[in-house]
Amino acid sequence: VSCSGTLRRGTWGSLESNQQPCASQHTFSNPCATTTRSNGEKLCSLEDCIEGTGVYPRHGYIYSSLAGYVLKKNEGGQLPVISVVRETETQLLPNVGAIVTCKVTSINPRFAKVHILYVGSTPLKDRFKGTIRKEDVRATEKDKVETYKSFRLGDIVLAKVISLGDVQSNYLLTTAENELGVVVAHSEAGAQMVPISWCEMQCPRTHSKEFRKVARVQPEYLQA
Amino acid sequence: MSSALRDRTGEVLLPGDEFSFDTDDTISLTGPVKPEKVVCGPGLRRSGDRLLVCKSGVLRHKPPNMFWMDSQQRRYVPAKGETIIGIVTVKSGDVFKVDFGGSEQASLSYLAFEGATKRNRPNVQVGDLVFSQFLLANQDMEPELVCVDSSGRANGMGVFGGGGLLFTVSLGLVRRLLTPHSEILSDLKQLFPCELVMGMNGRLWVKSCSLQQTLVISNLLQSCDTMTAQQRRELFRRVAQGAL
Repeated sequence: VSCSGTLRRGTWGSLESNQQPCASQHTFSNPCATTTRSNGEKLCSLEDCIEGTGVYPRHGYIYSSLAGYVLKKNEGGQLPVISVVRETETQLLPNVGAIVTCKVTSINPRFAKVHILYVGSTPLKDRFKGTIRKEDVRATEKDKVETYKSFRLGDIVLAKVISLGDVQSNYLLTTAENELGVVVAHSEAGAQMVPISWCEMQCPRTHSKEFRKVARVQPEYLQA
Repeated sequence: MSSALRDRTGEVLLPGDEFSFDTDDTISLTGPVKPEKVVCGPGLRRSGDRLLVCKSGVLRHKPPNMFWMDSQQRRYVPAKGETIIGIVTVKSGDVFKVDFGGSEQASLSYLAFEGATKRNRPNVQVGDLVFSQFLLANQDMEPELVCVDSSGRANGMGVFGGGGLLFTVSLGLVRRLLTPHSEILSDLKQLFPCELVMGMNGRLWVKSCSLQQTLVISNLLQSCDTMTAQQRRELFRRVAQGAL
């Protein structure tokens, strides 16, 4: 983390983002990431920095959304990136468009509920809850999807986040791509199944086939 | 191996008995060797290169290559497409909850009756008996029932009851009654005229001309479970002569 740059404070002449804050500007040096910021505190204006994680832009200024330490990084672009992190190391949150690894906890004719375990390749400390709706399982023939033929309890699924949801609802996930879907599944006999097509997996012990929405994993990610 | 299976057809087998693929040591070198296919029915499971018995019962065979275990069981496990007798327990909004003797109650939508629309609701009360079939039945989800078939017709399903007697028997007896030319049913037809509804969850409903005849038929069917064919014909003969 390089703490270059200074934290300038402008006066609050206007709240429009396209108007310059006028009058005097105090400049003082900012020692590396030791000042704590609480929720909702105004950090700087949008012309000085680009917002990172833990902050949000509003009315031309950047406010912090977490209680923690301010971190300013010079990424090499024109403006430094400002973010607020908690006391412990940065918690990775699933963002919209991130590929997550999750485990199916309950299925329903309309949707499947999952626990999100990994975001990309980093494991999460807490388990976030996600939902895969029936119409988000496949890209084609969405109304003929049967959740029992796509997922079962305990399957490990690769999915993509499409929405963060509200306070009460969970993350909304989708598997409507060739590379997304069930990666690891166990058959009713208890053995780990081998995928044979995009919609079927076979148990090596009993040779019975079961339906799943199988992910097409790239060959370089498969371990022999 | 199918010869080993055919030898033991009709025997009582226990879970843990196995048949292995390599009992046929002698293969003819001159004649054509066809790979024999064995189709495992309920109660048999393939594990690697062995065939394991999972349920205790009698091994049955249907030519050419179908084998299964005929077991006596009273606990019903729902399967898609089977018709059952259920009792409506809860009427909540658009869905009825039906008890069919399984581990959880099944849901029955009020639109799943013949000629039912949002305005024209079916006349179903709590405590009614319904004859319906499973639309969705698996171990992870709540079972779903419907009272129409795939073309939208009732086909004998729906609410019934009033004046009859509901009792439980083992699942094997119901399957025997449902075979195309069931001996028990043909013997029963000669006794009394009656109305009989058979649910594959082990429930039977009988209605006859008088209460006494209804009770006689229900007792006969319940005792048929554990009788041989000879004993059963003897009993029916005694009833027909008016001994009971």
